[in-house]
Amino acid sequence: MAERNSTDSAESRYSEILSPSELFAARSRCHKIPVRGQKDFFPNDSGEQRQRLEQSLSEHWSLTSEERVERLGNLVKATWIPSDQVVELQSPAGKFWQTMGFSAHGKQYLLPEEALYLMECGNLQVFYKDLPLSIQDGYERFLSSNTVSLLQYQVFGHLKRLGYVVHRFDPSSQPSTYARQLNLPQSRDKVGRQPKRKRSVSPTPMPTSSRTEKQDSTTEMMEVDKDEKDGKPPESHLMTSPETLEVQCSATSTADEDGGRTWWSGDVLECKESNHSTTSTSSSRWDFSSIPFPDLGSRESLSDSLTSPDPSLLPGGLAVGVCEVATWRQKINLRKVAMSSKEQGREDDRRRRRGDVNKDREVQQCRNWTEYQELMARRQSRCDGRPAHLWNREVTPLHDPRQPLPTRELLEKINVIKSTNLLEGVSRLKESDEWGIRFSVYQPDSVAEFKKSHPGKPYSHMCVCSFDGPVPDLRAIKLLASQTGDVPVVFAVVDYGDVSFYTFKDFQLPVDVYP
Amino acid sequence: MLAEFRAPRRRNRVHEEYEAPLPVTQSPEERSDFRAELINQHVLVRNPDHIQRIYNQGYFGKGILSRARPDHSISDQWEQHKGLCLPVVSQSRYEERLKWAGAALSAQGLDDEAVSQILTKLSQPVEAEDVRREGPQPEGGVCPHTKRLRSEVEPKAKRFCRLESQDLNLSSDQDPDSDPDPGSNSGSDSDPDPEPVVPGPGFVLVDCDGDVRSTDSESRSGSGLQVRELRHNPVSVSEYLQLSVEEAFFLVYSLGCLSVHLHQEPLSIIQLWRTFQSQCPHFISSYAAYHHFRSKGWVPKGGGGAKYGVDFMLYRKGPPFYHASYSVVVERVDDAFRDTALRPFSWRSLAALNRITANVSKELMLCYIIYPSDLSEVELESPDCLSRLKVQEVMVSRWVSSRERAEQDDI
Repeated sequence: MAERNSTDSAESRYSEILSPSELFAARSRCHKIPVRGQKDFFPNDSGEQRQRLEQSLSEHWSLTSEERVERLGNLVKATWIPSDQVVELQSPAGKFWQTMGFSAHGKQYLLPEEALYLMECGNLQVFYKDLPLSIQDGYERFLSSNTVSLLQYQVFGHLKRLGYVVHRFDPSSQPSTYARQLNLPQSRDKVGRQPKRKRSVSPTPMPTSSRTEKQDSTTEMMEVDKDEKDGKPPESHLMTSPETLEVQCSATSTADEDGGRTWWSGDVLECKESNHSTTSTSSSRWDFSSIPFPDLGSRESLSDSLTSPDPSLLPGGLAVGVCEVATWRQKINLRKVAMSSKEQGREDDRRRRRGDVNKDREVQQCRNWTEYQELMARRQSRCDGRPAHLWNREVTPLHDPRQPLPTRELLEKINVIKSTNLLEGVSRLKESDEWGIRFSVYQPDSVAEFKKSHPGKPYSHMCVCSFDGPVPDLRAIKLLASQTGDVPVVFAVVDYGDVSFYTFKDFQLPVDVYP
Repeated sequence: MLAEFRAPRRRNRVHEEYEAPLPVTQSPEERSDFRAELINQHVLVRNPDHIQRIYNQGYFGKGILSRARPDHSISDQWEQHKGLCLPVVSQSRYEERLKWAGAALSAQGLDDEAVSQILTKLSQPVEAEDVRREGPQPEGGVCPHTKRLRSEVEPKAKRFCRLESQDLNLSSDQDPDSDPDPGSNSGSDSDPDPEPVVPGPGFVLVDCDGDVRSTDSESRSGSGLQVRELRHNPVSVSEYLQLSVEEAFFLVYSLGCLSVHLHQEPLSIIQLWRTFQSQCPHFISSYAAYHHFRSKGWVPKGGGGAKYGVDFMLYRKGPPFYHASYSVVVERVDDAFRDTALRPFSWRSLAALNRITANVSKELMLCYIIYPSDLSEVELESPDCLSRLKVQEVMVSRWVSSRERAEQDDI
């Protein structure tokens, strides 16, 4: 660097250009970083300690008071344009142009935060109205709500100093949710599928209402059929055929109800009625207490003939005479088993203990075979020891330990709480100003091949917040996840210049079945 | 972007064997009917067999006198004495226990003379033949080498003790709570000849020369032998298994294998749900998270609050096998995913929690329970509302900008 004696006055104003001896001194500065040894925890008034302290303190002072020496030719000049909030370069850009800045109208521009960063690095000198701006001026003018806030600039600077490439986030460069939906693999695309076919309403006992309901359900089924057919033709074909069969059967039954044959359909109706309502009083036309059913197999002697049944019980104009049962009884083995006296005694004991099933009052209360079976099941479960306080109430356990299952199926059985992912339900959330992605960050190693026009997929998206501010709740996390695509979102938390980074990532805990 | 799953770290030394993931059996013959009591807002299991099964198969609960597994024993030292394996207590401790027994008897209203009479009778030395005649008891039938013996020591002043005179082991040595299961465990566990018989918990070996490890040259232990006397155990303490409300409800509702009794009356599921809800204001959220993790096959252990500052620690298989993989904080959100702030986080507290979690090599997980907007109060009164809740898991981790530069890891 040749010294310019003529520009002494200029030097005295700027005093930035070094004399050769100063330059040499700067070049040969010691580059050692002061070593920090073990700490002393307590002050002891020893001279040695004091000396060590003074030495390290002076080393630190000399380091921080060092001035950086740069080439004058590397200093790029630029002007600040407040109307556009950009900095226009006046001299050609240096190496930083690879990752920073943009071109427009044939000129080179820098964004304010990039300009401020370069100013702090000593690579850029920005003029406004022909006066160079100081760093303080830069902070005051370049950082505003229109450009980048102070917090965001601190994060920007921190990352740039570590070597990352940081650009302002451009939402239009992200594929929209719709576009992303189209690219989603088939398994996750549940939006287009119809819900599973609902079961059609079973016909009620009332003939008139059943017909209208049947019509409704058939129309319902028709609609569902149509939708299914739009989606998957072969499957729907298979599913509709049993449905249509059902429709036909019930159609015929309704026809029958309207026609004759009252006694048989009446039974059908009554059966359905009794099945639907267990507490209904028995309004059946049969009084079973007065209709005897002979027990042909009993060992007690019966008369050899059965009386003729009541004609009112018989269909049509049937008339039945007396029935001879002797021949039938011969066909049944009514012989007594020859048992020794001990066996007989045991048999008697057993029978006494068991008791006559007909004498059981609860059995007598059963009106039909179904109720008897229910009674037996109840008794069985009581003997089985299934705790009544768990199983006979409104809410029963999810699993019965008496029906063992392998572990994997058991886990699936009790899995009643569904997991969800971050992108679910995002569409109904409104955008919020508080949380937004500010920067796209690219990895430092890609600097060599970095192309500003095609930066590629960012390493992460940066969201800036203050340490004194709130932590993002699930709503914010979901919103950001929807904006970001598959690039991880990192929260940069600024605490008066110190920046920490936290990520909140979606996670699905895998099912663990051992072995 | 999904967080990647990191495999759980195995512990270096595993002392235990894995029995089963859950205390419901795969075979229909074994019954899984456990009984617990709700005492003073705590759920306790008292029957020793139930305790063993519930803890060993699924690691539910915590022993009230132990750190985790209920393995309280009257003494750490067990010795063989004429073919019996017995715990050894020092003379001073034996006398202390005699005093406890005396206090218990006085509390029952017996006068001093009667008390001293009973105590003298109690402290008579016992012949080994009498002990052997009693036969191995179910609780004592476990092989002593595994150190899983629990003696019957009754808490004297604790609120759940039932001081009846027969509990002082004068007549019978059986735990009045457990149903005697003759021969099922003991017959198979103790070999008649080579293995020493482990009698019931009513007997101890008293070291009459003072401290067990006394090296006092004045005592008669100069020869290395110490005189041991076989005595009755004056006071027996039972260790119970304490279940947290989530664990208890899970066993009752999801597996159907536990019944909780309040004042001897079994509680139905709805009654239990409402009782727990009134006890813990955030029961539904924490139970939903517990249920979710159990249905994925992981073992959530609560009670990490004092140690790690979180609601649950998630273990794979169980605490003895793997280090905990995740620390879980349960949060409740409404339909619009806004926090109702069970635990409001600030960046400071989140950073602190993250630091603690990273220091113990675990990962911090936030578990959000999402309540739909149309869930009414009435529906919350029944556990059927669980099927309407949803669970979102979020991993929190710290990204270090400078280290990433060097290691080129993915975020």
